[in-house]
Order: sequence, then structure tokens, then C-alpha cells
Amino acid sequence: MAKRTRKPGPGKPSVPVAAAVAAQIPVPEPVEREFFFLPDAEPEPVEAEDLHELMKLWRHGRATRSLGQAISDGYVTVFTILMLGAMITSAVLSAQHGMADCTTGTCASSRLLLPTAVLLGCYAITLGLARLFGPVLVSAAEGSWLLDAPVDRRRLLSGRLVVPLLSAFLLPGLVTGLVAGLTGMDWPAVGIWTLAAAAGSSALVALAAAQQSAERTWLTTLLQNLAGAAALAVIGLVVAVAADKVPSTALSGVDAARWVFLGVAVAALAAGSFWLVLAVRRLNQLRRARLASGGALVSGMQGAMFALDFGLIRDILVERRAAAIGHVRPTRGRGLGLAALIWRDVERLRRNPKMFIGLAVSLFVPYAVDALRLSQLNPLISGLALVAALVPFLGGLRVLSRTGGLARGLPFKTSALRTASMAVPAGVALLWALAAVPAFVGVAGSGADRSLSDALIAALITAAAGLLGGVRWVTAKKVDFGMPMVATQNGAVPPALIFNLLRGIDMVALICAPLILGWSAYLSAVVIVVAFVGLRGSFNAEDLRAEAAAAQRDLDSAKAERTKTKIPPPRR
Amino acid sequence: MARRTPVLKVTALKKAFGPVVIIDGFNLDVAAGEAVALTGRNGAGKSTVLRCLVGADRPDSGTIQVEGLAVSETNPQIRRDVAAVIDDLDFFPDLSVVEHLDLLARAHGVPDPDHAVDEILHEVQLVAQSGQLPPTLSSGERRRLALATAFVRPRKLLILDEPEQRLDVEGVAWLAERLVAERNRGLAIVMASHEPTLVEKVATRVIRLGDRARVEAEA
Repeated sequence: MAKRTRKPGPGKPSVPVAAAVAAQIPVPEPVEREFFFLPDAEPEPVEAEDLHELMKLWRHGRATRSLGQAISDGYVTVFTILMLGAMITSAVLSAQHGMADCTTGTCASSRLLLPTAVLLGCYAITLGLARLFGPVLVSAAEGSWLLDAPVDRRRLLSGRLVVPLLSAFLLPGLVTGLVAGLTGMDWPAVGIWTLAAAAGSSALVALAAAQQSAERTWLTTLLQNLAGAAALAVIGLVVAVAADKVPSTALSGVDAARWVFLGVAVAALAAGSFWLVLAVRRLNQLRRARLASGGALVSGMQGAMFALDFGLIRDILVERRAAAIGHVRPTRGRGLGLAALIWRDVERLRRNPKMFIGLAVSLFVPYAVDALRLSQLNPLISGLALVAALVPFLGGLRVLSRTGGLARGLPFKTSALRTASMAVPAGVALLWALAAVPAFVGVAGSGADRSLSDALIAALITAAAGLLGGVRWVTAKKVDFGMPMVATQNGAVPPALIFNLLRGIDMVALICAPLILGWSAYLSAVVIVVAFVGLRGSFNAEDLRAEAAAAQRDLDSAKAERTKTKIPPPRR
Repeated sequence: MARRTPVLKVTALKKAFGPVVIIDGFNLDVAAGEAVALTGRNGAGKSTVLRCLVGADRPDSGTIQVEGLAVSETNPQIRRDVAAVIDDLDFFPDLSVVEHLDLLARAHGVPDPDHAVDEILHEVQLVAQSGQLPPTLSSGERRRLALATAFVRPRKLLILDEPEQRLDVEGVAWLAERLVAERNRGLAIVMASHEPTLVEKVATRVIRLGDRARVEAEA
């Protein structure tokens, strides 16, 4: 039965009839209440605007500062934004002038290809984010309180579509415009690429919203994959042109391309308007669970971001993907002891073949870097790319190291557990190294960077750096806010919070430094051995701290004992 | 009758969080075939004691020994002997229910892992969910899976923190029967519980922990 809220009338005391009949039982004085429930009454329609007004009123009631005060308090932020904005604009203008003078084929092709790659990348990222978060979402509180009310859900949610649409219009537009400006495009062309990126991205968000209401994802997934693949292909083309594998003159037609992208922008505006109307019409069909899950994801990721816990962010996404998959065909394990654990990692490769896409992309990096004649930096850049590619392969290690519960159930030393969990990713890294050897020889660039044996060593060191960087990233502990903090301009910060930003990167830099500086590769090998021993948990910092604390406690208690038993010297 | 050697021996256990002393001077001997239930109000220190017993938390002072070995979370012998279901159990998000149990049984070298897994899967009534991934399980099913992970492997000491949590009435009845059987087979059990029926059926000894944590006076 529906319930309603209504203020009681002056002549309607809310005393139950049964209480009035039982005269001998003292009847409590009726309490004046704001509302009460009448289970049998018809519900009255509630306007979404009224609820919004009410929420605004509550929020105003809790506000401690006016907008002006907030701005005046945040003058540093405003000043910084203005300063940075001016600097970026000045840099773009000067770069634009400089690059516009470059009339070589490479410059002309880069002018066309780089903004196009960024535009396509923006499309793929926008669609990915839109699918991930909703794009229409509500917070858990709103999902519980507002969506339960008998309101017109379309009117309530239509405002929620504005933020993703605006963000999708502004951010991709700004990024693409910035890159287009930096490549030296003329201003009308910059405008066209910016408009194509902005209109296209917001149109795709509108499409994602329409699909969200219909609970379909195949079209957005297909478009996201196509845009991502196209962006990678264009980046490949940029590298091929830079390596003189493709004649640059064939790709210098910005004038012709601008009409194509103008067409894209116009088509995106038209399609976006249609999809927006469709999305708004379907907003009523959106389920609360679908809306609130996006809000829960945002709040979870916000929490993780405050601690700069990128591992936790990935955990949230992995859990979400597993929940979406829901069910798998179970497979029988093999072997006993640690072999069973390693076999499960092998099974993971079969179960999650998407991991190999990232690995393939990371394999493209050493060849691209070599083609761009940056072979000296190749180990560092390729090692970092490999860290990102290997993290999904280290899923088992991540779970075993994030909480002790599961590891405690397995009868092995921590070092043995970690080593076993690294075995399959290490095999993958080894294959990557073998496939990357030609890039380290210099096949994509000059062809004479290193001898075959040196290239093999460089590739193996890079692969080890990528693997150990990945291991360091996934085994990151949560930030301990109980530890002594470091004073910064933004207040006290735990040191681990700062190091979280560098996790994985530091390992790659440390291992690859001897190669980059032209020192002996043996130094890298030594660093790899030391890092491996540390990362496999052969010594545990927490254990060492606890042992030190216990030793200190023993010392203190022994001192106290001595003080108690000390016989005072006789007084004369 | 000669007194049996304790499987678990706790001596003068003390644990404090800052100035709040949760437990102090706690002693406990648990022999094989004995089930000890820790009861007490919320905040009495039941979970803290159990976390110290499995090595998840380090006591401030005192000793904990399992089969004569000092408890350390990372000691493989302790990991082999102690099966625990406390609040920090995690699951692989990409392994199904049955694969978790299979992995644990094989990791512990159970001779016929398929049979052991099938048996426990039927017992905890997760056969229908055997292919499900953990994030899709209900809270009750997760609890059943957690209990199954403790029962599918060899163990000498079973440590359970409110094992009845989120189980339905039938589930609690099954758990009580199972724990009695485990106890009769010679397993040592330490559990914290708020369920009087479970405590009454399973426990051979009940320890009621203090109602309030003592606040250590600062000098």
C-alpha cells in the first residue's frame, strides 16, 4: 500500500481508537509532529523541483561561507589558474608561430596526424568513461531518498545529463585544440578540429546515455574499440612517417582533411541532437540500481584518489568487471602446492585474453621509440609501457598482497608465494623481451644502435624492469595515516602518499639508469637482483619495525625493573 | 589422566590501540578436541584476540604458540596448521567459487582434491553457485564460501570470528553440527560468537571478555 506524508489538521488528534476505549490505561499526550503516515491514502504527486528546492535549502543551511568568501579564500587557486592559463596560451602561440614556419613534409604530416590521433583518442576515452560511469548517475543518498519519491524521474535526471555532456564538449575540445595549436595548424583548422572533437565527444555521450536507458552497450563498445584502434593506427602512422617508412608528402593534405572534419563536426552535432532527445525521452526507464552503481563507483574512486591509491582504483574496476561477467565455466586445477597456484595464473591468461592487447600495444612502444631515434631512452620508455601492460597479468599477486587473509590460507612462505605469482608474468615479460630485440638492435631507426647480444641484454633488462615495476605497483600497501607526516604547503602529508605517485616508475628508472647512462649492464643486473629480493618479501619492513618496537619495549621494561630494584645509597 | 598438550597456548596477551587497552593479561590453553567460545559485548576485544591468534595483528606483549611454535602470520607451518575465518578474508575476483576451493585444496596437498571440493561444496550448499565469481555472491553465500575455505583444507586449529554472521537458521544449525563433528575429530576450535545456540552446542568452554576496554592512565 502506498504511503503519504501530510501535515495533520488542527482538529485531528493522532490518538489511536483502541487507546481511547481502554480508559484505564493512561493515554499519552498527543505530540505535535511535522508529518505522519496514512497507509491507506492515495499518494500525492511530488514535483522534482520541490525536492531540489528542499535539498538546496538544506545545503544552504549547512554552508559556512558565501561564494564570494570561498573565492576570496581561494585566491591562490584563482591566481594560479590565471597564471598557468596565460603561460599555456603564450607557449601555444609561440609554438604555433614556430611550427607554422616549418614546411617540411614531416611537419605537414604531423600537423594533420597528431590532432587527428588525439581527436580519435578523445572519442575512445569519452565513450569508455561514459560507459563506465553511466553516463547518468546519482549518489547513493540520492538513489535511496530521491528516487524512492513518486517523482518524474525524467525531470529529476535531465540535469544529471548536463555535466557529462558539458565535460565531454569542453575537455576533448580543449585538449584537441591545444595539440592542434601546438602542431602549427592555422586558426580556422584549429577551430575545425576543436569543434569536431567537442561535438563528436558530446554526441557520443548522448549516445551512451540513450544506450544506458535501453540497457544496451554493444554499439558504444563497438564504437569505442573502433575509435581506439583508429587512434593507435594514426599514432603508428606518425611513427612510420617519422621513420621515413611512409612518404610524408602523401599525408600533408590539411586543406582537404579540414572539410572532412568539418563534416564530422556537423554530423556529430546533428546525431548528437537526435541522441540527446532520445536519451532524455528514455530517462524515465533508467533503473535505480544502474544509476546508483555509477555514483558508488565515483565515490569509491574519489576515496581512492584522496589517498592516491591507484591500485585500489584498479581493484574497484576489476571487481566491477567481474560482477558484470558474473559467471564463468569452472576449470579443474592442476598440480599440488605452488604448482596449483601457477597453473591458476596460466588459466587466467586463457580467461582474460584482453590482457594481450595491452601487451601488444606495449610491444609497439620500443619500435616507435627507435623509429623516433630515441634509442638511448628506449629501455626507460618501453619499461614504463611494459609496467602498465603487465599489471593485469599480476592480478593474482595483487589479491595475495592487498590483505593478508587469502595468503594466510596458503601454506607457503610469503617469498615463495610472491615468486610463484610472478612466474607467469615473468614468462610473458620474457616473450616480450624476445619480440622487442629487433627494436633494440635499431631495426626501426638507423639499424645500427646495438649489436644483437647487447640488444638482447637491453631487452631483457627492460623486461625485468617492467616486471619488477609492475610488481612494485601491485604490492603497494595502503597509505598509513598513523605514520609521522611530512609538512607541505597543502598541509601534513604521509610520505607514502607522495611515493605512491612514483611506484613502479622508480623501479624502472633505477634498473634502466645504467643502460641510459652508458654504464655496464652488470650494474642493472645487480639492481634487478636486489629489487627482486626486496619485492618478493624476503624482508618485511613491517616485521622489522615491529621487532624494533618489541626490542625497545623490552629495553624500557628492563630499565624500569632496574630502577625498581635499585638500592638507594645510604644517607650520611 | 594426563593433561593433553595444548594446540594453542596464549600467555599474558596484551593489545592496546593508542591509550585504549583492549585486552591485558589474557591467558588461554586450548587442547585438541576442545572448543573455546569467546563472548562479550561489542568492543570487548573478541575480534582483536582472534586477529592476534592468527597473526593478523601483533600483540603488544605476551606470547602465542600453536603446537609450540610462536605465531607469525608468515610462517608456513602456522599457515598450514591454522584455518581462520576472520573479517579480512579476500577472494580472487576472476576465480569462481569452485576454483577457489580447488586452489586451496591443491595448495595444501589434499590427496583427492576433486572429491574434497565436491563434498564441501555440497555441504555449504554452493553447488549452484560453483561457477559464480565472488563479487556476484550474496553476503550469506560469501560467508559460506569463507567457511568452506577453512573446511576444505587440513587444519589443527580452527579460528572463527562470528561464523554465524549472515547465515540463515538452517545455515547456523549446519555450522553447529559441523563444528561439533570437527571438535569430536580432535580439532581445536576458538571462536567468537553472539549466537547463544551455537555457543551452547559447540563450546566446551566459554570465556566472557570484559565489557569495557580499560583506558590506561597517562602518567
